[in-house]
Amino acid sequence: MKSFLKSFFALGLLAGVSVSAAELNVYSHRHYDSDAILFKQFTKETGIKINVVKASADQLIQRLISEGKNSPADVLLTVDAGRLHRAKAAGVLQPVKSRALAKNVPAPMRDPEGHWFGMTVRSRVIVYAKDRVKPSDLSTYEALAKPEWKGRVVARSSSNIYNQSLLASIIAANGKDKALAWAKAVRKNMARSPRGSDRDQARAVAAGLADVAIMNTYYLGILANSAVAADREVAAKVGVFFPNQDGRGAHINVSGGGVTASAKNKKEAIRFLEFLTSAKSQEAFGNVNHEYPVIIKNNKSELLKSWGSFKADDVNLSVLGAKNAEAVKLFDLAGWE
Amino acid sequence: MKLLSIQNISKQYTANDAPAVNGVSFECERGEIVALIGGSGSGKTTLLRIIAGLETPDTGEVVLDEKPLNSPSVFVPPEKRDCGLVFQDYALFPNKTVQQNITFGKGAADDPKQVKRLIELAGIGGLEQRFPHEISGGQQQRVALVRALATRPTLLLLDEPLSHLDPELRDSVRTELLKLFRETDTTVLFVSHDIEDAMAMADRMVVMREGAAEQIGTPGEVYDRPVSQHVARLFGKTNFIPAGLLPNTPHSIPSENGTGRVVPVRPHQWRVSDRSPAFSGTVQSVTNRGSHREVTLATEHLALTIHLTEQIVINTGDALTVSCALPD
Amino acid sequence: MAAYLINIAQHRLRHLKQEIRFKLNAWTISALILGLILFLPMAEVLWHLTSPAENWEHLRDTVLGRYLKGSVILVLGTAVLSVLLGVSTAWLVACCEFPGRKIFEWALILPLAIPTYIAAYAYFDLLDQLTPVLIWVRLNISPEAMTLLSDTMVYPVTIVVLAAVLYPYVYLVARAAFARQSSQCIEAARTLGHGPQSTFWRVALPLARPAIVGGVALVIMETLNDYGAVEHFNVPTFTTGIFRTWLSMGDLQGALRLAACLMALILFLLVLEKWLRFGARFHKSSQADRPFQRYTLGQAKAGLAILCCLLPLVIGFVLPLSRLAYWASFNAGKVLDASFLKLTLNSIGVATAAGLATVVLALFLAYTARYFGSRTVGATNRLAILGYAVPGAVIAMGILLIAGQVTRTTGWVLTGSLAVLVLAYVIRFLAVAWQPIDSGMERNCAQLNNAARSLGANAARSLFQINVPLLRNALVAAGLFVFVDTMKELPLTLILRPFDFETLSTRTFDLAKQAQIPESSVPALCIILVSLLPVIWLNRQMRTPEK
Repeated sequence: MKSFLKSFFALGLLAGVSVSAAELNVYSHRHYDSDAILFKQFTKETGIKINVVKASADQLIQRLISEGKNSPADVLLTVDAGRLHRAKAAGVLQPVKSRALAKNVPAPMRDPEGHWFGMTVRSRVIVYAKDRVKPSDLSTYEALAKPEWKGRVVARSSSNIYNQSLLASIIAANGKDKALAWAKAVRKNMARSPRGSDRDQARAVAAGLADVAIMNTYYLGILANSAVAADREVAAKVGVFFPNQDGRGAHINVSGGGVTASAKNKKEAIRFLEFLTSAKSQEAFGNVNHEYPVIIKNNKSELLKSWGSFKADDVNLSVLGAKNAEAVKLFDLAGWE
Repeated sequence: MKLLSIQNISKQYTANDAPAVNGVSFECERGEIVALIGGSGSGKTTLLRIIAGLETPDTGEVVLDEKPLNSPSVFVPPEKRDCGLVFQDYALFPNKTVQQNITFGKGAADDPKQVKRLIELAGIGGLEQRFPHEISGGQQQRVALVRALATRPTLLLLDEPLSHLDPELRDSVRTELLKLFRETDTTVLFVSHDIEDAMAMADRMVVMREGAAEQIGTPGEVYDRPVSQHVARLFGKTNFIPAGLLPNTPHSIPSENGTGRVVPVRPHQWRVSDRSPAFSGTVQSVTNRGSHREVTLATEHLALTIHLTEQIVINTGDALTVSCALPD
Repeated sequence: MAAYLINIAQHRLRHLKQEIRFKLNAWTISALILGLILFLPMAEVLWHLTSPAENWEHLRDTVLGRYLKGSVILVLGTAVLSVLLGVSTAWLVACCEFPGRKIFEWALILPLAIPTYIAAYAYFDLLDQLTPVLIWVRLNISPEAMTLLSDTMVYPVTIVVLAAVLYPYVYLVARAAFARQSSQCIEAARTLGHGPQSTFWRVALPLARPAIVGGVALVIMETLNDYGAVEHFNVPTFTTGIFRTWLSMGDLQGALRLAACLMALILFLLVLEKWLRFGARFHKSSQADRPFQRYTLGQAKAGLAILCCLLPLVIGFVLPLSRLAYWASFNAGKVLDASFLKLTLNSIGVATAAGLATVVLALFLAYTARYFGSRTVGATNRLAILGYAVPGAVIAMGILLIAGQVTRTTGWVLTGSLAVLVLAYVIRFLAVAWQPIDSGMERNCAQLNNAARSLGANAARSLFQINVPLLRNALVAAGLFVFVDTMKELPLTLILRPFDFETLSTRTFDLAKQAQIPESSVPALCIILVSLLPVIWLNRQMRTPEK
């Protein structure tokens, strides 16, 4: 009996050890099918099991702060450079050095000190109704503030981080006062108060409620590949326009991740990030989730190619993070809900 | 040393309201049956609950069998007090049989013979396996009583023990209770609003009014020598005759309207007689009450209520002269 | 006045002294500590009511008014519509006779099984259905008119969706009030020559008012708690403001201060409710309930009555449920897999744990306060049950803050453990279990506990031999309510759940958030079906008169 207990105890211990050795704990904001596929692939290749908590990025950051150095999380994945910057500022990420990461991720797409690395790129573009708007009518984000667009623009709520980063990039390019004036004017030009998802903006344009929408590229990809016929119709009715091609370029943003300050499995965590930024994974992000790879010119997705190549705003993405809070305040002041 | 001693107990439920109990003191002898009498809101039930430990007094002391139960530094919780309490609504456990109810109390199951004897004394034999809702109200009351007695309490507290009973039943139950208490040699303190219960059962009574003990004494004392018009009225209609009109009476009390003293005269203490001091007037009404006739008589200054047992012819409007026969 | 207050203070102080001197024991001390621990997250949030937050002035000057306006419009609209739907149907079902009345009597309660966020998903395209109208307005009137129409439509749509699933709170209490409390008075009114209309307005409604106020209070709390529906329809409310300030501005302090404002508002409403009920608590007549002679409606009126009952039932239950079922029918294959079984088990598992834990704690707290007659424990109990009035997300913030402090001082990581998640549910739903247990105890056990004490039984013996057996129904009901509420709960679960821990509600939300609302119908439907059983049971309980 005694020996049985002993061996039982030993087994339990062993199990405990083996569990912690081959696992990686991930806090993720991303809720895409592409991630689930890639996580499975990673486990298959490395034998490292991945445990995920999915929640809103800021809740996860808050949770990391409150858990401090005892947090079980090894990796934080999120969308938007602003949030990655916020996580860095909160001290929940640690700097890592990896030659593979440096190679996989271009400098503007990662934190200069290595706290976070971009994983995929999405561009926030102007989507227009093909039957009512000619691409030549469009030029820049700034132009949407002109009175000729009165009652013709739709966009989602300013609670959305993509809008915040867009405004942050405008602050970076034009200064605070002009950015506020822009937000005010665009809000006035809106056909309805901001509501719904990016996809809903495309639907509104396709239905004829408005003529142009500000939205992210990959949502159009999702609509175009939807199982629902109505969604595919929406995608067919609208066109993609990359603004500011004669100036600073279209606003882009990344989703990415970093190793947490508390990571117990740092080696595995770095390996995981390297895996996600590897060429094969990058292709999967493009095909499944219609996101651009972090090196945009490596794009293999036919759909993305069909929208044409574009010039991207090359402002360092950390700047967007630094100006995020200011952008939210400007939205409040502009009355953009 | 007395068995139960209550000293200066006070209890106020809500600030800015009159206290429910206000400085009450009295004592109980071993084996005595004491009644707490008073109208609703007189504080009698609160006092009973304080003695049982269900309420905490603001001031004062309770000592039972030389053991302090309440004092500024002591509070013995109810389950540790040697008091049995029978509730007005009996509070039988509906999920337990009569037998289980009776043996629920601390130590009640220790002496099955004693329990059996109590069950027989109370006349509820044969009901042991029934549930409370399956027996009559009178039976429920007896179960509650036996349940309390089965713990052999030093002091038995009863809250309005007869209030739920029909008038016909009351008399016989009173007798039964008395018999039971005497046979089990129990000290009893019971609360009642009915003076007849107290007169019939109590060795002594404490009359409560507005939270205070207005009078303490044997039923005879309280009946014959009430300390106030209020106490006197507990026993029914009472005539209050200005003391000046009844010289040489042994007992007079202060008048409620503050004009000197009055002598309480019960309606049956009048006789048709002109023995001085006599009161003459006109009969206002005559009501037959069976054993007697109730006559209201208007004299020059007073309206008297008189219970006549004499078989004489009297009609409204007749002139009548009465005098009172007070005990010495 | 001063003397009056001093008297009260002295009185309280004397009580407190007595309690400290005489009523401290293992039971009361544990109950006090437990009550305070359960209140801690709320206290932590309230603490921030005046604490400095960097963006507070900005918030106050720009968006606070908007959140307040949105919340007030939503609360008023939902409350008024719920009263209209709930009281009218309750009156018809309780006091009138028409074909189908018996079916409506229980069917009208069914929307209670649908959480507000799922109702919003079921009606997710309600606004889109109006698109052709908007386009017509845009083309034939003016783009400005369309903008105006589109922006004002948000409120009525959200209000209709919320009220359609929340009105049963009013319906239930009003029906019980009409059927029981006022039946004699209604009969008296009839014999005094009042027709149905004048009886309703002059007798039944005033008598049922306190009950209705209680039901409306629940509707208001649920409305303020809602996050899924207002987020979906983009209505600016306090809850969305809290999330925006926290998640978009990254300003936890500012969010906490907003949350504290919301809590203060809710506490004010609770006091108001108590005050509105006070002095108007009509005691039920002691006479036994007799079958009640209902008004028989003529053909035309019966038709109207059926329509009147059908309307809320269809918009609150039939339509959302059939839409979800329709979507589920061709998405089930895609969504139902081994992981779905796991998350169903997760849901049932945490809900069961939460139900059991909440009932045990509620029983302990209510019993200790009542058995020892301790006002202090009674007071801490009332603090502990405040969690029900506070949005789940706010409680989650409080728990995160406290967990953070615990981690800093002891090194223990509390977040992400199932135990903390269950504790969070207990805090959120304690009132749901405490109320029926406490009132059941007051009604059935108060005198019996005194009897048991005077017979020398200690606290444990009274609890297990008297209270638990007598309160069995109340305990089961309390457990079921908490179970269902936990199944439906969203924000707490989202924020505090452990690794890889998904429930039916988080899956519903995840899918809906990815605009896969048709797919989200499968877990949503599961939640509704599981919730239906206790709802039907509750309905039967409410109908059988108390013994």
